[in-house]
Amino acid sequence: MRALGKAASDDDRPLIERVRRGDQDAARTLYERYFDRIFNYAYARLGRAEDAEDLAIDTMTRSLTRLDLFQDQGVAFSSWVYRIAHNATIDHYRRHGRMTLVPLDDATLPQSADPAELAVEQLSNEDLRLALRDLTDEQQQVLILRFFQDLTATQVADIMGKSVGAVQALQHRALGSLERALQGRAVN
Amino acid sequence: MTPEMQRLETLAERLRAIEPVVPAPAAKIRGWNQVSAAVQQSATVHSRSHSVKRLVLAAVAAALLLVAGAVAASANSLPDSALYPLKGVVERVRGVFALTPSDQLTYHLDLAQTRLTEAEAMIARHRLDLASQDLTAMSDQLANAAVLVQSEARTDPAIAADMQNRLLQAVATHDRQLAGLQGEVSNPAAQNAISQARERAAQAAQTAQASPGATTSGTNGSTDNKAKPSPTSKDQGNGSGSPHPTPKH
Repeated sequence: MRALGKAASDDDRPLIERVRRGDQDAARTLYERYFDRIFNYAYARLGRAEDAEDLAIDTMTRSLTRLDLFQDQGVAFSSWVYRIAHNATIDHYRRHGRMTLVPLDDATLPQSADPAELAVEQLSNEDLRLALRDLTDEQQQVLILRFFQDLTATQVADIMGKSVGAVQALQHRALGSLERALQGRAVN
Repeated sequence: MTPEMQRLETLAERLRAIEPVVPAPAAKIRGWNQVSAAVQQSATVHSRSHSVKRLVLAAVAAALLLVAGAVAASANSLPDSALYPLKGVVERVRGVFALTPSDQLTYHLDLAQTRLTEAEAMIARHRLDLASQDLTAMSDQLANAAVLVQSEARTDPAIAADMQNRLLQAVATHDRQLAGLQGEVSNPAAQNAISQARERAAQAAQTAQASPGATTSGTNGSTDNKAKPSPTSKDQGNGSGSPHPTPKH
C-alpha cells in the first residue's frame, strides 16, 4: 500500500478560503496533505533529497501565499500545486543544469539489447529512478504523476494541460522509452 | 494483449510498486515554519491591502457626498456666501448644455431673475457693492438675451417673435420689481445702480424689438416709455459671457 493517497480537490476549497483569511490550521492541513506528495514528485525529478526538500517547501509556500492567482486558473488546487512544482523543477534545471537528454524514441539501441531478456522484477528501485531521469521532461512527468503519485489520466491531463488521450499516448511512449533506457543500462 | 503491451504493463506495475520516498521529519518541520510565516505575512498584507482599499473607497464616497452637498447648498447661496463661487460654476455648466436659441434665452432670463433676487437680498443686507454687481450682471444677461433674439430673427422669425415676447415680458416684470425696490431704498448709490439697471433693461427690450422680422404680439408697454436708442452690441453685454458677477467680499 502506497503512503500517498489520491490528491484531494473539491474538499480543498473550504480550507483554501480559510487560508485566504490567514487561518494557520487550514494552512497546516493543506501543507500536510500535499508536502509529501510534492517532495516525492521533486525527488523523482531531481534525485537529491536536499533539492527535493527545498523545492517542496518553495512550492508549498508559493501555493499557500498566492491563492489570489489560483482563483484565475480554473483548475483543482491539487493540479495547481503540481503545476507550481513542475515550474519550480524547470527553474531548478535552469539554475543548476541537467544532463542533455537524447530522446529515447529516436535513440539507437544496442544490438544485444533484447527486450525479452529484461527482467523487470529484478530491477532495483534506484535503477528505475535513474532510468526515469534519462527520459524527456514530459515523459518523466507523466510517469511520475501516473505511477508514483497514483493520479488518474484525467488528473494528469488537468495538470499538464493536455487531453486525456494525449496523456495516454504520452504514457505509452514514456513506458517504451523507459524500457529502452533500462535495456541500455543493462548492456552498459 | 500483445507481448509489447504485456511488457509495458509489467513495467508500469513495477513503477507502481516503488515505495515513495518520505521527507526527513526535520525538513518537514523546517518547511512548515517557513510556510507558516509566509502565510501569516501574506494574510497581513492582504488585510492591509483590503483596509487601504476600503479607506480609499470611503474617502472617495465622502468626497463625492461633500461635493454633491456643496453643489446643492450653493444653488441658493448669495454673493456674500463662501459657496457663491460654486454657484457660478454650476451656472456656467448649465449654460454649456443650453444648445437651442430658445434654451439659451431661458438660461439668460433665469440668470437675470436670479441676479435680481440676489440684488434685493444684498440691498436688504446693506451690501450695496454686491447689489450693484448683481444688477450689472442682471443687465448683462438681458442684453445677451436681446442679442440672441436679434440673431435668431435673421434665421427663424417665428421663433424669434416668441423669444422676443418672452424677453419683453421678463423685462417688464424686472422693471416692476426694480421700481418697487427703488421706492424702498434711500441710499443715492443704490438709487443710481437701480436706475442704471432699469435703463439697460429698457435698452435690451428696445434692441429685441428692433430685430428684423421679429414682431411682438402683446408686449407690456411699460418698457416702451423708457426705451432709448438701440445700443451697439458692445454696449449690450458684459463682453465676458459670464453669467455670474464676481463678488468682492
